[in-house]
Parts: sequence; structure tokens; C-alpha cells
Amino acid sequence: MQLSRRLQSPPFQGAMLLAPALIVYGVFALYPLIDVFGLSFMKWNGLTPTRTFVGLDNYVQVFNNDPVFWGALRNTILWTIMSVAFPPLIGFGLALGLNQNIPGRAPLRALYYMPVIIAPIAVATMWRWMYDPFFGLFNQMLAGVGLQSVIKDWLGDRNVALFSVFIAYVWQTVGFSMVLFLAGLQSVSQTLVEASRIDGAGRFGVFRYVTLPALKPTITIVVILSLINSLKAFEIVYGMTGGGPAQSTQMLAMWAYTEAMQLGDFGRGSAISVVLLLITLAVVIPYLRWSLRRQDANQ
Amino acid sequence: MSALAHPFRPAGANKIDPVLVMLWILLIAVAALWIAPFIFIVFTSLKSNAMVMGTGAFAPPSEADWGNYSRAWARGKFSTTVLNSAIITIIKVPLGLAISAMAAYALSRIQMVGRRIAFLAIVFGTMIPFQVMLAPLFTLVNSLGLINTYVGIILPYLAFGVPYQVFILHGFFRDVPKELSEAALIDGASHFTTFRRIFLPISLPVLAALLILDFVATWNEFAMALVILQDNSKWTLPLGLMSFQSQFSNDYGQLNSAIVMTVLPATIVYLIFQRYFISGLTSGAVKE
Repeated sequence: MQLSRRLQSPPFQGAMLLAPALIVYGVFALYPLIDVFGLSFMKWNGLTPTRTFVGLDNYVQVFNNDPVFWGALRNTILWTIMSVAFPPLIGFGLALGLNQNIPGRAPLRALYYMPVIIAPIAVATMWRWMYDPFFGLFNQMLAGVGLQSVIKDWLGDRNVALFSVFIAYVWQTVGFSMVLFLAGLQSVSQTLVEASRIDGAGRFGVFRYVTLPALKPTITIVVILSLINSLKAFEIVYGMTGGGPAQSTQMLAMWAYTEAMQLGDFGRGSAISVVLLLITLAVVIPYLRWSLRRQDANQ
Repeated sequence: MSALAHPFRPAGANKIDPVLVMLWILLIAVAALWIAPFIFIVFTSLKSNAMVMGTGAFAPPSEADWGNYSRAWARGKFSTTVLNSAIITIIKVPLGLAISAMAAYALSRIQMVGRRIAFLAIVFGTMIPFQVMLAPLFTLVNSLGLINTYVGIILPYLAFGVPYQVFILHGFFRDVPKELSEAALIDGASHFTTFRRIFLPISLPVLAALLILDFVATWNEFAMALVILQDNSKWTLPLGLMSFQSQFSNDYGQLNSAIVMTVLPATIVYLIFQRYFISGLTSGAVKE
């Protein structure tokens, strides 16, 4: 009797409903997250049973004796800055355009968004082919309009490879920012827009004093999500260049993978992961606090 | 619809606005840029190698070589990779949504100790880049003896799908009027029944949106599959495509057929269920 009543109590039912998700999340997402810190203090090849504790040695090695690491860090920072600037700006422009009274808005929106749903690895393969030095789209088009002098090995030239990869990334991610901005634009109060028009505000005035302030939270969200997504850039690099040529497109996520899974140094790979993770957390934690406060305020 | 009857006119005006016409032309130009890669890939997929080398990039294939598709299918072992992707997706997506919905219900509607902490821990997961954790994830799955198994990939997929879905559904369930659930609970229904009979039916549109988003995400996932599914008999479509690229990158027609076949299922799902993508995405990030 006692037992069956306890089994029917709301907290018990709640625990039963929560348990499957919480357990699988705890074991396969949170535990590896903690384990990456542990592994970063070990010398281990990932397969043998023996792991040796080496303290901060992996970090010392990564910072002092790993020329690739600093290049990867620099590329990651450059990539992140570009990812926060360009796709959101282009997405914002497209969203502003699609928010006007023009024909064909729905198909245009569907088209801009389409690359978002394609597997990043397929995007990488597509663009690798488009950058093909001999028969690819870009060089053929350049040759077609008489710009032979501009023709390059877009992914083979260490000075341009990172930007070539980034162009593909822009193509894939602009739709994501655009959709978020469109949703934000649609929540801008039309009464306010019309009121300011009646008060004599021009197109630019309405944008500057009504639309833009109303979009502040959306802008924050898009910027943060773009930033976080850019730190994760792995598949597109893996698929297009593998970090080359001469490590010129190497980035932290990719280099952590290479150290651990390709070169068999789980300690160093994890140390690189921890660096990337700390950078990510420095952005994520303030953002989560902000968005939870906002959510609670809406409640 | 009334807006579409008078295009290019700003609200309230009855004259065509030239700025809007210019803007529209610009948007069409961007659209052309955006669609160009697709056209190029489809055209190439129908060309023989000689035709690829001999004709312009945007020249339609003079004679469609559909054989590229069947040859790429066989060489790329698509029958294996499509089957693996299908099995993993069909098990993972509904199962993941079910456990997420249950958890979201418990976290939003049942008073219990530690639910704020549990909620925060889960929401935190929406932001963790799992690409950072490929090595520990491999270590964990390997220690369980699940490398190269469906279970070994499905469990991490479930884990990384939970945060976003719980976050969205939590927000949705929280806003369900109290009267609705309390009436049922007072009538003696358990939380299990209330969840199943009341909350699931009213949240069907959200569930549909999440289902479709998750289908595409699972179908496309590459990084985790790369470390966990190392045996090519267990490869999913993205792994198969990657291997195809590294082996047969000079068979341009076949390579592009392989790309088209990899991308097609997600594209079809997208074109059919387009509006769910938008609603599934925006309901989370941008709330009024």
C-alpha cells in the first residue's frame, strides 16, 4: 500500500519521465565533456589499457612545441570573426528584402535556406569540385570571361585556401541567419512602424529608430549562434582540405581530432579540445544566463 | 494574399516603388548565385568525363548519361550506406523525440527536487560543441565495446539530440493552460496519462517540426559517425560520400551523381515540409 502510493506520487512519476533522457544525456554528452579534461592530463594512445598521468605536460607541449597549434588558433579566430560578420550581415540584408512587399517571397526564402539542410560534408564535396583547378565552375567561368590571370588552385594555394573554404561556408549558413532575422522582423510592431511613418519618418528613419531597436535581441541571438557554430567548423574543413595545404586551413576542432584520432595522441588532442572548449564556454555561459533571464522575464 | 495582389507597393501606397523593384532584382540575382551550385552539380552528374572536359560548366549535358548514377551507386556501396543511414535514422529520431518530450513534460509540469538544475544541465548541452569531444566519445563507446555498432552511434545521437528538443518542448509545455492539465489530474489521471492524452496531441505541430529537423540532422551527421563507425560495412551516407570523394575524385560525373544521391533525401523532405523547418527553428531562438 505504502509502496504503491509512493510509486504514484508526482515526483516519482516525474523522475520516471525524466530518467531516460537524463541518463543518456549524462552518460553520452556530459561524461565525455568532463572526461576530455581528464584525458588532457594523461599520456595515452587511446587503445592500450595503460594511461600515464603527466600533469600539465600536454599543455606545455601544445603551447611550446606544436607549431600547428598556433596557426590553428589564429585561423580559428580569423574564421570566427568572418563568420560572425559576413553570414549574419548577408542574411540580414536578405531578410530585410524578403520582408518587403515583393512577389515570390516564399520561393526565394526557400531557396536561400536550402543549403542549410544539406550535409556539410556534401557541401564540402560540391565545393571542392567547383574549385577544381581544371574543370571546376570557378576557373571555367573566369576563363570564359577572359580573366585567365585570376585563375587559381583555390584550395591548393595556401594564401587563399582558407577564404575559399569560407565562401562555401557562407553559402551554407546565410539562410540560417536569414530565417532568424525574418522571424525577428515579423515580430516588429506594425503599429509602431505606421505611427512613425505618419510622424514623417522616411524609410531610413523607420529602419534606424523602429526596426533596428526592436531587433536587438534577434541580433544578439544570431551573432552568438553564428559564433558558436563557427567554433564547431569541422566537417567543411575536413571535407574540403583536411587542414591543408601546409596547415593553412587547419583549425582547433580539426587539429584536436587529428592529434587524437589520426596521430594517436589522446592527451594532446584533448588538451587542444580543452582550449577550444574554454573559448566556447567563455561565450556560451554569459549568453545562457542572458537568455534564461529573458525567458524567465517572459514567463 | 492581399499584399501579393499589389506587389512593389509599400503599405498604404498605391504607386509602384522603384526602390522595391531594384531590391527585387537584387534578390533574384542573389537567388541565381545560390542556385548555381545545384545546377552545376546536377549537370555534371549527367555528363561523361569526356563531356566534362569538353563542354562549359553550365552547358547542359547534350546526352544525359544516367549510367553515372548506377555506377556511382555500385562503386560507392550506396546500398549499404543508405540502409545504415535509414536504420539509424528510423530508430534514433522517434525514440529521441519520445524521451525528450517525456523529459520536457516532467521538467515543465511536475514539481520535484532538482528540476531547475536538471533543466539547466540539459539546456547547457544545446551549446556544447560535440566536435570537441570526439576523442572522449570514442573512448567511452570503445570501452563499452560498441564501436562499429548501430547502438554505439545511436546512443550519442540520442544524447546530443536531447538538449535542443527539451528546450523547445519545455517552452511549449510550460505555456499550456493549467486548467487543461489540472482537470485531468483531478479526475485521477496519472502524469503519464495526462502527458500522453493531453500534452502530446496538442503539441503535434511542434513535434512534427522537431521530428523533421532531427531527421535532417541525423541523416547528415558526419563527425561522430567518423570516429564510431570505422568499418565500412557500417558506414552512413556522409561517410560513404567522403570515401567516394577520396577514391574516385577524377570520375567527375560519378562523383557528382554520388553528391546528388546523398543530398536528395534531405532535400525532398525539406521541400515537402518546408514550413516546419522554419517554425522548428524560430520557435526556439526567437520568441516574441
